[in-house]
Amino acid sequence: MSAEARITVTVNGLSCTRTVDARLLLSDFLRHELGLTGTHVGCEHGVCGACTILLDGRSARSCLTLAIQADGANIETVEGLGRIGELGRVQQAFRDHHGLQCGFCTPGFLMTITDMLRHHSLENDEDIREALSGNICRCTGYEHIVNAVRELARERGPLK
Amino acid sequence: MSAIDASVEMRPKLVGQRIKRTEDPRLLTGSGRYVDDIAPAGLLHLAVMRSDHPHARIRAINVGEAFAIPGVVAIFDAGDIKGDFRSAVPTSRMKGYYATPIRPLAEGKVRYVGEPMIAVVAESRYAAEDALEHISVDYEPLPFAIRQVDAVADDAPLLHDEAGTNVIIAREFARGDVEKVLADAAVVVKGRFRMTRKTPMPMEGRSYLAEWDRRRQALTLHSSTNIPGIIRDVLSGCLDLPGNRMRVVAPDVGGSFGGKGSLNHEEMLVCVLARKLERPVKFVADRMEDLTAMSQAFDELIEAELAVDADGRLLGLKADVIGDIGAYSIYPWTGALEPVQVVSFLPGPYRIEHYRGRVRGVLTPKPPTGPYRGVGRPSSTFAMERLIEMAARKLGMDPVEIRRRNLVRAEEFPYRTGSGIIWDRSAFQECLEGACDLADYPALLRARDAARAEGRWVGIGLASYAELTGIGSRIAVAPGMPINTGTETSTIRIDATGAVTAAFGISSHGQGLETTLAQVVADELGCRMEDVEIQHGDSALVPMGTGTYASRSAVLGGGAATKTARVVKAKVLKAAAYLMAVPIEDLVAEGGVIRASSSNATMTFKELAHAVYAQMGRIPHDQREDLVASETYDPYLGTACSSTHLAMVEIDPGTYGVTVTRFVVAEDCGRIINPLIVDGQVHGAVAQGIGAALLEEVVHDADGQLLTASLADYLVPVATNVPDIGIVHIEAELPNNIGGFRGMGEGGTIGAPAAIANAVSDALSHLGVEVDTLPVTPERIFRMVEDARTIRKA
Amino acid sequence: MKPARFDYVRAESIAHAVEVLADAGGDGKVLAGGQSLMPMMNFRLVKPSVLVDINHIAELDRIEHRGDRLHVGALVRHRMTAEDALVVRHIPVLHHAMKHVAHLTVRNRGTFCGSVCHADPAAEMPMMTVLLDGTIHTASPRGSRALPARDFFVGSLVTALEPDEMATSIEIAVPAEGSGWGFEEFARRHGDYALAAIAVLMERRDGQARNVRVAMMGVGDTPLRLLDVEAALEGREVTRAALDEAIEALKMSIDPNSDLNASSDYRRHLAAVLARRALGDAWSRTRQTSVEIAA
Repeated sequence: MSAEARITVTVNGLSCTRTVDARLLLSDFLRHELGLTGTHVGCEHGVCGACTILLDGRSARSCLTLAIQADGANIETVEGLGRIGELGRVQQAFRDHHGLQCGFCTPGFLMTITDMLRHHSLENDEDIREALSGNICRCTGYEHIVNAVRELARERGPLK
Repeated sequence: MSAIDASVEMRPKLVGQRIKRTEDPRLLTGSGRYVDDIAPAGLLHLAVMRSDHPHARIRAINVGEAFAIPGVVAIFDAGDIKGDFRSAVPTSRMKGYYATPIRPLAEGKVRYVGEPMIAVVAESRYAAEDALEHISVDYEPLPFAIRQVDAVADDAPLLHDEAGTNVIIAREFARGDVEKVLADAAVVVKGRFRMTRKTPMPMEGRSYLAEWDRRRQALTLHSSTNIPGIIRDVLSGCLDLPGNRMRVVAPDVGGSFGGKGSLNHEEMLVCVLARKLERPVKFVADRMEDLTAMSQAFDELIEAELAVDADGRLLGLKADVIGDIGAYSIYPWTGALEPVQVVSFLPGPYRIEHYRGRVRGVLTPKPPTGPYRGVGRPSSTFAMERLIEMAARKLGMDPVEIRRRNLVRAEEFPYRTGSGIIWDRSAFQECLEGACDLADYPALLRARDAARAEGRWVGIGLASYAELTGIGSRIAVAPGMPINTGTETSTIRIDATGAVTAAFGISSHGQGLETTLAQVVADELGCRMEDVEIQHGDSALVPMGTGTYASRSAVLGGGAATKTARVVKAKVLKAAAYLMAVPIEDLVAEGGVIRASSSNATMTFKELAHAVYAQMGRIPHDQREDLVASETYDPYLGTACSSTHLAMVEIDPGTYGVTVTRFVVAEDCGRIINPLIVDGQVHGAVAQGIGAALLEEVVHDADGQLLTASLADYLVPVATNVPDIGIVHIEAELPNNIGGFRGMGEGGTIGAPAAIANAVSDALSHLGVEVDTLPVTPERIFRMVEDARTIRKA
Repeated sequence: MKPARFDYVRAESIAHAVEVLADAGGDGKVLAGGQSLMPMMNFRLVKPSVLVDINHIAELDRIEHRGDRLHVGALVRHRMTAEDALVVRHIPVLHHAMKHVAHLTVRNRGTFCGSVCHADPAAEMPMMTVLLDGTIHTASPRGSRALPARDFFVGSLVTALEPDEMATSIEIAVPAEGSGWGFEEFARRHGDYALAAIAVLMERRDGQARNVRVAMMGVGDTPLRLLDVEAALEGREVTRAALDEAIEALKMSIDPNSDLNASSDYRRHLAAVLARRALGDAWSRTRQTSVEIAA
């Protein structure tokens, strides 16, 4: 039993070891301990989806996860999807369709969509909108995001 | 009127194209930099203890064991920082107005639940929040009137004793004899409309980081603001620092919608504390704090009456408005911004001879209202467009036809409304027809009627409106406000490497201005877009700039960019003419290359810059000029912008859930710089309008407590609430300003609430009920339906 | 919005977990998916002294089919329940209800048991547990217990769990072959907590409804089983007249609260509307030739 612990987490393929407070949120760990500020914090009560990351391959709210829980886990963040000049496919689709404006909710959407495309059948716009409904965007009105996901859903291979 | 700027005639190659945004690569890869991403060495974190009383005297503060929490550095109340700043005062020339002073922490008493009271500075936000749990406040509760109708009463408890009244704003606009017209008219419709309080809810919370430079005795504030220049100017006064030692930087900003467009308590607070402690101090509002204490929106009660003749012609309009402005008049806009615009824009885009609009702005113990996308006009359009459709129903006239008969026509511009607003030419009528054409209005009516025959509750609603955008120096953005919102400055320089840097006073926070302004600059200069870097969001870039708000940046920023680029280009061509030994008239610059049409000789911008700056003697010293310019643009009048929205809704006759099934926008935003970005602005604003119409409401209970302090309670639209939106762009006769641009960032929030309110009323028309309150929630529909059925039975 | 300090224990086993809970003297909390607990901790509405993380107790991470009962372990995520082959084929009402549980990302982490133990009166899984004749299996230093759903839900966010007791699995009934089901929920937005929802199961024999089960949520402090509504339909053909009687019985059985989103009167109205739809759907989904509801 302790108020802090030493944890090792793999983030975007790189292993990181840190001593953390038990109460440190994974979102704060990524942002402030590892400097991966691409993951944003929008509500800290699990509603807005801005802090969404992939935890062992599935989307998760990093604001509702403790860093200490991630000991031994594999985490993917927006920084792992691509880089400037070398955008990942989801990122490129967002750019092509103007799926972002202020960019604050964007990393959370990109991670949720990555999960959607890997694991969920998205047969029509209704499916897409429903799957996106746990992420809030205040700028785009969602239409351009839906357009981007529709394109991605059409071009992907079979479901994993 | 006829003098259209010549540049409009030629079709440049970047402006008008769907160009992908320059901002995107960094924002898509997590490489953006928002305030909370910046962490200087020695950073301290701030948590704020907020009032949990709506109105109370602070008798005593007990910090208990707070200092014993590991990591706690300092705790301050108002008394501890009293000598460290001067209050900000949102002055105005309005008659009878009282300007409530704004301070970082409440002094003596608190005036709303959520008002900052005590500051805890600690090594981490976790520790600072721990300390808050140990601090207790002894309050003496004071009486208050939470509802605006009570707060205006003569005997209501005063929130600011010094003001002597709660009604700190009163204005009246009048033309003609509205009482007579109302008495004589064939048809009079009236209503008591209420646009409830909203919160802007940008995704990024308000975030401030102040750093004190001991060496220079200078302060840098990184702020998630959209008005860095205004904040610099006011803080310079509050902190007694000259502008060259007080700098406000807005890095990437995660939306504002108005919520980050005023001076905030915490913004002052971090500055005061950073200087006092000589350490960087950061405050990042969590969601609960923003929902509780960010400046809020609307909250007007509008009693209005409309007189119409038997042919559906609008004769006169009368309105009394009470705006609930909250506990303080906000800096710099004042509490008049929102309610006064309601009465000044209420007559809308229509020809109405007789008008009388009265407004009172009243203090209540709630967070201050401030700018919110659309300002005033979402409320005024809601009331006016409801009256129009009520009149049409009474006359048995089609809602499109009544608008067609009354919208100001092309030959009537400029038209002065009863409140004194001058509408310059814009596509009022064309937008109405455009929306109906795109939606195929006759087919939509048939579909509605067929659905109704099956017992379904389906309705169609319209809303037409006009707004002033890109306002110049002739009128202030807010009434009587003594700051200059009518100009923008651009500084453009081509450096020794040939790179182009264009700096502005505007402050993009999602609008894509780095892209659109680069399109304008590249076209004007004749360089490549990728050679242009747009700088903005930093008070140090230009001598005075107020930022991005009020749909001004395309008009004023685009105008300044055009004007400045032309001066720089003249210098480029002059140097090129000398270097290439051809007459200047022979030269054309395009894509970063200067070409002589007579000789086919070319020179790149890079070569030219090198020659001008680095090769001594290539240009005689008395003819050599740096390739820089700084120009200021003032559109003086500004532009009118107009639109018609059309909504179709279906109401579940059991649950009363409302689904927006169709939405069409036809709008005139002048010459479009980037249609991709314009579409995005329309989509986003309409989504917010749908939120205002169906979901969003800030609720304070009778005790002044906030009931909507989480995103599970304050409901904003998600992907399943918003339909695909059909858009018609109408580039009517272009406005008389540089570039021919009109502002368009806000419009969606103005038309959508009214159109949806009309569509819901249409869907409920068989019950004879009319929507008068937004959001029109399932609960409100339930009550309307029950009341109608009770009346029918009786 | 940062949680208060706590001690953290990664439990190695159920015995370990309950031992730590017991040592915490009523101040410990079990962390499974965290989708309800963590928001409350971030708001500092809940400040446990010890957080017992059960995410590494492998035996809890299973769904088992035993006879006509399904045992859902305390670590089974909503997503796993929704995708379970038996649930998809044989408990379509549960599969369908899962679509209404928050959002994709929350369903990846949140657990069936966690939702039941959180006992939000407007959450789906407590209602489904009541509908599906659920039993909550628990462990404490005193041994294990099996609590029927009807005894488990005590009030809003209050259950019969002792402070040193944790749920280890929930056992639910697999409806009989040929059962019809109905599920209706109304929320302000997709995935929000419901203003009201209803779930129905029934069989049809000889043209009559049998084994009718009706559960509702959002209309009381706990999920409700509506015995009077069941009785109104049991052994009858589900005609419009029968439905009318059932709805009357419903209105008499509930006394909903008023809150920010809905008044008591509106909730009562909504309950009736949803019930009529769900009962009709369940009847028409019963395996036998579908019969139109007689006018």
